[in-house]
Amino acid sequence: MLLADARLPVAGHTQSGQLEPAVARGLAARDVPAYLRARLETVTGVEAATAVVARHHLVHGLPLPPVEVAWAARTPSAAMRTTSRAQARALLRLAHRLWPGDPALAVLAGIDRPSRGVALAAAGTAAGLDALSLARLVGYDDVQTVCAAALKLMPLDPYEATGWAHAALPAVEALAHSVAPLTKPGDIPAAGAPQIEAWAEDHAATTRRLFSA
Amino acid sequence: MPETTRPTRALRLGVCGPVGTGKSSLIALLCRELAPSLRLAVITNDIYTDEDARFLRSAGVLDPERIRAVETGACPHTAIRDDISANLLAVETLEEDFAPLDVVLIESGGDNLTATFSPALVDTQIFVLDVAGGGDVARKGGPGIERADLLVVNKTDLAPYVGVDRDRMVADARAARDDRAVIALSRTDPESVAALVAWVRGELARHRAGRLVPVDPGPMAAHSHPHDHAHPHEHAHA
Repeated sequence: MLLADARLPVAGHTQSGQLEPAVARGLAARDVPAYLRARLETVTGVEAATAVVARHHLVHGLPLPPVEVAWAARTPSAAMRTTSRAQARALLRLAHRLWPGDPALAVLAGIDRPSRGVALAAAGTAAGLDALSLARLVGYDDVQTVCAAALKLMPLDPYEATGWAHAALPAVEALAHSVAPLTKPGDIPAAGAPQIEAWAEDHAATTRRLFSA
Repeated sequence: MPETTRPTRALRLGVCGPVGTGKSSLIALLCRELAPSLRLAVITNDIYTDEDARFLRSAGVLDPERIRAVETGACPHTAIRDDISANLLAVETLEEDFAPLDVVLIESGGDNLTATFSPALVDTQIFVLDVAGGGDVARKGGPGIERADLLVVNKTDLAPYVGVDRDRMVADARAARDDRAVIALSRTDPESVAALVAWVRGELARHRAGRLVPVDPGPMAAHSHPHDHAHPHEHAHA
């Protein structure tokens, strides 16, 4: 619950889940529910699976670099990799304060610029989350990131955005159940979303933006 | 941050205040005055563009690489107050990339009168008003006006053109701040510029001596005792 709270001071307010460039290129409010599902089935699924596999490696004392490599290979957008690593840094800064000396976090300290999924795995391990809860957290957080950003980017009734998040919960649950059993880096689905990746790249190059990514 | 790193890292100086009061210009001015003798870097918190960062880069007062923009997701207040992580990471990255630095200047996005920096992000902060924003603004008060480490009343050279009594506005500001510093600034008044530079150098000296303790200006009014309650006071009143 703590890690899924939007008030967590990890710069979540600077993120739109690529909704800002999507809206700039014509994505309409009515498309957002489909956008949420598309993310859960692609980029967010990759992150959730990465977190679950990283958690398995942390719990069993297996090396993390192969998980990082598998994630990077499935995240072709350099802009999205940069964003993920920046978010991981903010998250780990907080996690070290909340769980000082935690062994999972100590392992992360030895990894150069870890991704957000791997950082979430360490924070989740420190917090005692199981694989299913961790995967659900990744999915839910992505949905709420996009819905919260939508309120800043589009003329919307806030209740409508909350309705989108609520309606996306079964898809979050399905994602969590599909990735929770994964244990090997090679198991992480290679489900890219070229349009989202292209938007991320465009956004990184623009000089007019509200959100970092 | 371990406390032991404090004396050696750069002074983090915040500049906040409403839109259009001259925050970017003040930072450009400080860079121009201080860059010859101090190692500087700047973070801007633009709302929608990297306009402020570009303005500072084009001012030619600092290596463009040393000026970086942070996006705030339309929440400039949040980014300097209740979730400072994006700014902290940007400051630390600058400090790593250009170590050692003497001063990192952090410009907030232009916001309202209640927006002030968290003491976890900056060591000291300047709140900027300008005469063109109206002579009554200083009287309205607020955490930044009343309790920022320094209040700058900017663009005093414009006072005659906007119908504002400069001296009255500065007197209002001083009255709102007890003994805290106020500088009436104009780019065209070298004496006022010298006063601003001297204030920053004084803060840097206190920081280096380990005597600068970040003070939170707000957003709530400082706790006060109305002297109508019974329990005895053990602390002195200023």
